[in-house]
Amino acid sequence: MAVSRAVEFARRFARNRAALVGLVLILAVLGFAIAAPWMFPRNPLRIVGRPEIWPFASWRFPLGTDSLGRDIAAMVAHGARTTLLIGLFASLTATLIGVSVGASAAYFGGWADEALMRFTELFQTIPNLIFVLTIVAILGQKIEYITIAVGVVTWTPIARLTRAEFLTLRDREFVQACRSMGMGDLRIMMREILPNALPPVIVLSSLVVAGAILFESSVSFLGLGDPNVSSWGRLIGDGRTLIRTSWYICAVPGVAIMLTVLALNLIGDGLNDALNPKLRDR
Amino acid sequence: MAPILEIDRLQVSLFTRAGVLPAVDGLSLCVNAGETVAIVGESGCGKSLSALAVMRLLPEPPGRIIGGAVRLAGRDLVPISEREMRRVRGKEISMIFQDPMTSLNPVVPIGEQLAEAIRQHNPMSYRDALKRAVALLQRVRIPDAERRLNDYPHQLSGGMSQRVMIAIAIACEPKVLIADEPTTALDVTIQAQILQLMKELQAASGMALIIITHDLGVVAETADRVVVMYAGRKVEEAPVEALFERPLHPYTRGLLGATPSATRQHGGRLADIAGNVPSLSDLPAGCAYASRCALAFDRCRSERPALSQLLPHRLTACFATEQEMLRNGAPVGA
Repeated sequence: MAVSRAVEFARRFARNRAALVGLVLILAVLGFAIAAPWMFPRNPLRIVGRPEIWPFASWRFPLGTDSLGRDIAAMVAHGARTTLLIGLFASLTATLIGVSVGASAAYFGGWADEALMRFTELFQTIPNLIFVLTIVAILGQKIEYITIAVGVVTWTPIARLTRAEFLTLRDREFVQACRSMGMGDLRIMMREILPNALPPVIVLSSLVVAGAILFESSVSFLGLGDPNVSSWGRLIGDGRTLIRTSWYICAVPGVAIMLTVLALNLIGDGLNDALNPKLRDR
Repeated sequence: MAPILEIDRLQVSLFTRAGVLPAVDGLSLCVNAGETVAIVGESGCGKSLSALAVMRLLPEPPGRIIGGAVRLAGRDLVPISEREMRRVRGKEISMIFQDPMTSLNPVVPIGEQLAEAIRQHNPMSYRDALKRAVALLQRVRIPDAERRLNDYPHQLSGGMSQRVMIAIAIACEPKVLIADEPTTALDVTIQAQILQLMKELQAASGMALIIITHDLGVVAETADRVVVMYAGRKVEEAPVEALFERPLHPYTRGLLGATPSATRQHGGRLADIAGNVPSLSDLPAGCAYASRCALAFDRCRSERPALSQLLPHRLTACFATEQEMLRNGAPVGA
């Protein structure tokens, strides 16, 4: 039954306490991101007060203000939206490319496998950050392009993992049985093999979200982010000149990034426990 | 009556690093509607490869059909495209595999697997397909079929799984069903039930049944006609009673002698066949069985015996048997 399966899945996930902590953290960040337009209805990039007010020093600005006098709390909240969206969509892009490439390579084998895996290795040899910066430099500093760029550099491990899973599943008898029923290749790949291969891929994808957030932060830190939206990396980048006096400008978004990435990693572990059939009956 | 399935001098080769191996060498076989033909032989004699070749499911590479024809209701399946072949598989000709526990998709409920098999060749809504699925499960005698629809394969026993596999195989009412060692992975008691079930379904639908097995007990219970294969070739073909009564090929006699039986008179050890099946890369010039055959003489080692009809409805490829029959004045070529 679908309901009891979901309950069972939740039970296995919850057995990993750290994963629960991760889930609570992510839900908090998510809540914060969703609530941002109501909590801070005005443009977060507006100058609203005196510059460099320290956190907890003023009731109006609980997390202080930056060097221009912008509200850090507002920027962190709105930045959470940007950062989570980029992380999510970049991971989605990466998973889509990775699964398609890995699945086709393993399923069709032969020269298709050779060609696709050499193609994958080509991407692996280019240093990731430089590759992202190059793509952003070519396409432009817009949030969509950054998302695509991060997706394009992070798909390779997903492709390799999917290929490995497909290779072990491709020659299983049930696949042969599906062929003997007259099913086509695409159908067998998508409907029959993929559900079996998905659990480890989902785990990896959740980790790719964390990686994507770090990439976006790096890009923004270097000043190549979208200038029209606030993001955590950009906050750190803006604050880095004042790091010796007003270090909190970097530290506040830094802690936010750290907690989010940590939370995603913990969730990844929890998913691994919940989805791994070998741990199921323990 | 024209046979529903006609395998005509089928040749399958394995293209390996060790060279081109003749895995199936000129196999001919006819199956009529409603008839059950058993293919027997040791492991590695080409039984399963022949079946896969008929389904056009050979692992390529290394396998490839290099000659012959497979005619289903008169239409040759060897030259048609993969796309056309997909419309034949499951609909006109189905296959059941050895291990039912691994032949079902472990993450999909069986009801859904059945419904998808039905929808593969009969366009209908998923809901209607599920209704048909219940009827099919009832046909293969799965109790409480409706509730079983949501079960996953690991919740079923081996016998139940094989029943589900059979239900999937007959979902689109194929004209030919190939069962590749359908009971090898099952308990003896379940074996009998599954064989019984297949016979009943066959009687109801009139489909032709090809059973591939190395278990002569299964052959005796189900088959009308038997084909004995050795090293990729057919060495004997006979109606089932005749084969058990008077096996003509020394290899068939060896197989029968190596079969345990509760009613065996003389007790003692089972007679085994000395030696091994020769490697496909190293087939002798003469009869492939000569090295293990007690009756082999010089001609057997230098020349390959062809199939000949020594008794009505019976084919054998053996020089020794031929000679013996001639000596006894039995009708040759009748």
